[in-house]
Amino acid sequence: MTNYLAPFAASAMLFTNACSGAEPPAPGPPAAARPAAVADTAAPASPTAAAGALPRFVQAAGDGSLEFEFVQAGAVTVGHFRSFATELEYDENRLAASKLKVTVQIASLDTREKERDEVLASAELFDTGKFPTAQYSATGLAKRGSGLVAVGKLTLHGVTRQVRVPLTIRTTNNGVEISGETTISRLEFGVGQGDWKSTEWVGDDVKLRYRVPLTRSK
Amino acid sequence: MSFRNTTRSWGSLSKALHWLIVLLIINQWVIAERAEDLTGFQKFAALNWHKWFGMTIFMLAIVRLLWRLANPVPDLTAETRPWERVLAKVSHVLLYALIFAMPLTGWLMSSAKAYGVSWFNVFQFPDLVGKDDRLYELMHETHETLFSVLVATALLHAAGALKHHFVDRNDVLRRMLPFGRIK
Repeated sequence: MTNYLAPFAASAMLFTNACSGAEPPAPGPPAAARPAAVADTAAPASPTAAAGALPRFVQAAGDGSLEFEFVQAGAVTVGHFRSFATELEYDENRLAASKLKVTVQIASLDTREKERDEVLASAELFDTGKFPTAQYSATGLAKRGSGLVAVGKLTLHGVTRQVRVPLTIRTTNNGVEISGETTISRLEFGVGQGDWKSTEWVGDDVKLRYRVPLTRSK
Repeated sequence: MSFRNTTRSWGSLSKALHWLIVLLIINQWVIAERAEDLTGFQKFAALNWHKWFGMTIFMLAIVRLLWRLANPVPDLTAETRPWERVLAKVSHVLLYALIFAMPLTGWLMSSAKAYGVSWFNVFQFPDLVGKDDRLYELMHETHETLFSVLVATALLHAAGALKHHFVDRNDVLRRMLPFGRIK
């Protein structure tokens, strides 16, 4: 009998290594356009892993957590995305050339309550029928405080916005682990139409928390 | 009219708590009935109002119980018969128990369904239990059953008050009325 909803948005992050071919649109000219693209990548010519490519890391399926938290009728509500994929091309000495790409399957959202999940996935909120995935793509990292920040674009619910994602990258036995948290506005991405536009019952702020182990890949 | 109770009449705080809770309970019933026919956002909003008012009743119930324990309780009239005293006592105990049990089972329902409960967006109550579908179903049924018990008990309680007023013609009802005058 309870029909609630909640709104939020999702996000994720990853990177792509332009040189690795993961992101096809990395031909010659762009390199010039982006000062960050390191000269030694010489990538433009060949989309395959060129010499000088940054170390590449990928998320093992099922590993990592991407949680969201929002306020619903005055009560904090948490959920997570069961399915998302992360790729990182990263070298701590070449942050500007590092890339992160995250793809989130929005319909994999789970707030531990089926009815609420269904409302969230419905046309007035995430509209997963029309927008099954959210993507975050950062084309560079920068230092910020004691951690890093990814500079990139988040496409959610069909809306693309510049989003800076703070994160920490720590080295592990077989790769790295990305973690951090940030807050985004669901309404900036149009998540919440009709009555759900109101923030009276469902807050605009959606906090995202992520901890994703990545393994080094060839 | 004094703020505190006396052995002859209820004080203003006791009266205010009594009637406020009566009105809130009627309101709760109206919201719950209406929510049954709603869907989506409207239902979500209605159920949250129901929870907010329910938690209000819960907090008022605590104040009321403490106030009752800290105050004299007006005596029943000398002519009240033993069976009437027993009936009055049982219904009063039940009503007090129910103004706690209704909100508590509602709160449990919410927690078991992984919905946090707040008080008018002002603060949040802790979750009583983790997500538990079976407990949710059980509490849902209990909440509804207890409401039936509440209605029956309240009717008996009101019938007793009316009997005192119209048949026995004593002060028992009047002393709980907001502006009732005692003879």
